[in-house]
Amino acid sequence: MDILSHLDFATAIKELTPELWQGLLIALEATVGGFLLAVILSVLIAVGRLSDSKVLKGILVVILEIVRGTPLLVQLVYMFYVVPLLISLVAQFFMPDYQFQLNPLFAGILGLGINYGCYLSEVVRAAILSIDKGQTEAALALGYTQRQALWSIVIPQATRQAIPVFGNYLIMMIKDTSLLAFITVNELLLRTQAYASQTFLTIESYTILAVAYLILSLPLSQVVRLLEKRLSKHA
Amino acid sequence: MPKPMIEVNQLHKSFGSLEILKGIDLDVHQGEIVVIIGPSGSGKSTLLRCLNCLELPTSGTVKVEGENFADKSGRYNEKRVAKLRTEIGMVFQSFNLFPMMTAVENVMAAQVKIRRKSKEEARKTAENYLKKVGLAERMDHYPSQLSGGQKQRVAIARALAMEPHIMLFDEATSALDPELVGEVLKVIRELADEGMTMVLVTHEMRFAEEIGDRIIFMDKGAVVEEGKPSDLFNAPKHERTKLFINQVLHPEAEKV
Repeated sequence: MDILSHLDFATAIKELTPELWQGLLIALEATVGGFLLAVILSVLIAVGRLSDSKVLKGILVVILEIVRGTPLLVQLVYMFYVVPLLISLVAQFFMPDYQFQLNPLFAGILGLGINYGCYLSEVVRAAILSIDKGQTEAALALGYTQRQALWSIVIPQATRQAIPVFGNYLIMMIKDTSLLAFITVNELLLRTQAYASQTFLTIESYTILAVAYLILSLPLSQVVRLLEKRLSKHA
Repeated sequence: MPKPMIEVNQLHKSFGSLEILKGIDLDVHQGEIVVIIGPSGSGKSTLLRCLNCLELPTSGTVKVEGENFADKSGRYNEKRVAKLRTEIGMVFQSFNLFPMMTAVENVMAAQVKIRRKSKEEARKTAENYLKKVGLAERMDHYPSQLSGGQKQRVAIARALAMEPHIMLFDEATSALDPELVGEVLKVIRELADEGMTMVLVTHEMRFAEEIGDRIIFMDKGAVVEEGKPSDLFNAPKHERTKLFINQVLHPEAEKV
């Protein structure tokens, strides 16, 4: 009962909130960068997997299995600590003292982008396959090539269909930016940890952090729901 | 005899081991209206789809205005096929309008993308053709806001806006409610009056009889009989044709 009487949310809110704002900006940077990368990769992977090239399809399936078979946290750590070493190792064949370094946030964006890109590619692929074959045929009959029909008729419809699912992944990614704390990105979790260990306001700090994430994601879920409604109008 | 707009020579088409077309020969001349009829599974739609290479022939050739779809080495080069297709408009049973575009945008899209017209020019052409099919008031509607007959008329306008020399109709009225069939047939009839070269696959026998210069009856992947509508409908030569026409015109009669 002693702990309860010592709770000091007032101080924690006052001191931690400005920190969280700073962390939020970084988390949003990571999300915007990571998600853009993920969307681009997802469409490219999906199109690649639907192509006629067996080699390309094989390579993509191997990459997908690796990404889906390992935890995101491990991928982030690998991207930040191991990939620069590997690049340095190769580069040192040409430039002896070369040391490659990856900015933590940039490594985080790459890690998140690749991971989410792989998952989203399944969504895009399913969406492309769900578009009626008649759409492609109508385009072909008008003189489009296969590629033109795919990119200007099928993919716009497929991405439109995929947008609500994309929205849910976007919200997941915002929350997953907390994993970037492990690769020294100074986002919300890392700042909260630092504050909590300095002040011993453990309960207060992490509760505030959790609430902050809730405040962030609840309205976004609503936006996604609205978007879903609007987009289904002319589908 | 003027040169044929479409020349089909010994066309064979198989899906796997299933042979759908068993050596079709067909010429369609400038301004001619050819109507293909036959029971389902007879290969009539497949034949039509071979005319603009939506289905690639297994063997045999299809020429449009003297140009073979296959190149000299017998391969179907995509760019070449796409270019030839711009001379042929096609209207589908299921309309296949682009759902994320309004009616006028549907008609504009290929003009801009394929014909490389400016947007203003494409819009003007699109508006003209939409007026022509009687949809001046519906230009800014999305396909989901249109009736089946209206959708099909937009689809016809979309094909016409490419200014094709030949129009193909693949059961253009089969998916329509009966009361909407007339408005689509009216547009097709107007095109016929303007001298458009057309090949139609249809189940509307009266319409076929009225509009066709030549009727082709297909069964089991081959042309059984062809001729003038009056001859073919009133005095079919082949037993199979007789049976089919009798069944379609008198569906209530018992099967012979």
